[in-house]
Amino acid sequence: MSTTLKNIAVDGVNDVSYREVTQKSINDDVMSMISLPGKVWWALFLFDLLVLGCALAGVRNLIVHGWGVSGFTRPVMWAVDITNFVFWVGIAHCGTLVSAVLFLFRSHFRRAVYRLAEAMTVFGVLTAAMFPAIHTGRPWFDYWLFPYPNQRQLWTNIRSPLEWDVFAVNTYLTVSSIFFLVGLIPDVAACRDRAKHPVMKLLYTVISFGWTGANYQWKHFYGAYLFFAALATPLVFSVHSVVSWDFAMAQTPGWHSTLFAPYFVAGAIFSGVGMVIFLLVIVRKAYNMQHIVTIDHMEKLAKLVMLTSCMVGYSYLTEFFMAWYGPNKAERDLFLFRAFGHYWWAFWIMFSCNVIFPLLLWIKSFRRNMTALLILSIFINIGMWFERFVIIVTSLTRSFNPANWFYYRISLTEILLIVGSFSWFFMFFLVFLRVLPSFSIAEIKETLPMPKRRHG
Amino acid sequence: MIDKLLDPILNPKPPKFNGVMGIYYYIDDAADAVTSLRQAGHKNLNVFSPVPHHEIEHALEQGPSLVRWVTFVGGLLGATGGFGLCYYTIASWPLVIGGKELFSVPPMTVIGYESMILIAGLSNLLGMLALARLPQTKAVAPYDPRFQEDRIGIWVPCAPGATDRIAQLMKGHGAEEVQVHA
Repeated sequence: MSTTLKNIAVDGVNDVSYREVTQKSINDDVMSMISLPGKVWWALFLFDLLVLGCALAGVRNLIVHGWGVSGFTRPVMWAVDITNFVFWVGIAHCGTLVSAVLFLFRSHFRRAVYRLAEAMTVFGVLTAAMFPAIHTGRPWFDYWLFPYPNQRQLWTNIRSPLEWDVFAVNTYLTVSSIFFLVGLIPDVAACRDRAKHPVMKLLYTVISFGWTGANYQWKHFYGAYLFFAALATPLVFSVHSVVSWDFAMAQTPGWHSTLFAPYFVAGAIFSGVGMVIFLLVIVRKAYNMQHIVTIDHMEKLAKLVMLTSCMVGYSYLTEFFMAWYGPNKAERDLFLFRAFGHYWWAFWIMFSCNVIFPLLLWIKSFRRNMTALLILSIFINIGMWFERFVIIVTSLTRSFNPANWFYYRISLTEILLIVGSFSWFFMFFLVFLRVLPSFSIAEIKETLPMPKRRHG
Repeated sequence: MIDKLLDPILNPKPPKFNGVMGIYYYIDDAADAVTSLRQAGHKNLNVFSPVPHHEIEHALEQGPSLVRWVTFVGGLLGATGGFGLCYYTIASWPLVIGGKELFSVPPMTVIGYESMILIAGLSNLLGMLALARLPQTKAVAPYDPRFQEDRIGIWVPCAPGATDRIAQLMKGHGAEEVQVHA
């Protein structure tokens, strides 16, 4: 009576990671990840908390002593904070792409990987949202960012792109969190039925909303899921477009371009898929999940990276072409400065990591080599962080008036903020791995051929 | 200590049910059983499964979920609210900033659009929870953890006198196990 999962991967039978999968074994495998943490997990988690503690000391310095302790100096007032913000919002985009966009396109390979990508989305937005909050300088007044009724009828300036960000990022955080939690309901119900520890059982009972898998529950669940996907798809494109308009609405050279929205969206998906690959390669190996996330799944993600790398590369070249072809001398000078000026090294790190190294993905054996993908994904994320750094810092150091030109230098506090953002993200991620099902039990089961008496 | 405190919440006393629960492995058997039971007049049955099945949906003659209308209304309200907020905040203090036009449509579109998605998403969630009767605090049928693994359950609530006939019908359609609750 066992059903073999032969088509979870297109050619999984020839894959060394292939092993028989049944409906019940999926429950067993995914829930085996939720167990008491071992020594490696604790070591990673405590190290992560230690790094986070150091970063919090840096944040404390910023708040107590003000922005003077960081490298933020006029005219480069955005520097690392906004670089980190855009980087993490970008990382977050992949989750929604994989879970919503590929759901609408009926791309079934998403089923094996979307839960992890969605979790990454939620934690990515949580990380990103911290930076503008800190960057205001007085985070205890951050509620001023929201339009709330007040005695003096003071409202936020809705014509400012920074205010659009408040709406876009908060909507994205809310909708992606709901999407993530709703998708978890059936799987958490399965965890609830097996949980032995009373606190864990209570947690799962609450998150599963008393789910039983009744026909009327599935009907409305999938009715709603389709609409979550339909809402999240335009949202994912709009959010990073809005983020790009933080720059494009200004007349600063290097920013004032209509290319920015599609360029940023492609870059976001590129870096996000890079991060998903990084996490998946490690998780599938650490938990022995090669039969659920197969090499074919990884190769499909690698193809997404290939596509978006081409889009990003095309955007870089278009920027240079438009600067050369257009009438704006400041724009032309700025792009020359980007490639060959003071920050040439940052530009070439960006260009090599995002355009040149990913060219290796055109080779099939490279796409199917997990170690190669892991190393490339690290380069991609370094490259994408530098992309935002290049856009922000080079443009702000060299705006129109030479009297304003200034070379920005990163400070120790800012380095702590960068490292801290990763530890903040991985803190959530490590807890997620231990507490919630990291792969979608219900959706992976849908990939299985359903047991039918009449067809053997 | 925690066990004792949480026990009444986690393991409530099961309510008393009247009806028959059939447990199936094969999806076509379960779909046939649902069709036969409905033809026999048992329209208020419930089917439990680890994943949704089109065969069962067809047998139950389920239409599309009404949640789409809740989402649509939420989206309309969100867009109206977003544009309304922009209009109101500008009108309540008409302050020209950077020489920009006061009532400018493009920035309003961004806020209106994001508000539409936000409220539509929240409505979608609330609509789903309400229609799917979640959170479900009171069991509507006997529950079996196997329904989250690989088995399909068909629950037919009925009077004690009708249980034998229903149990026979379920067995005739390949039920692995039939539980009579009376």
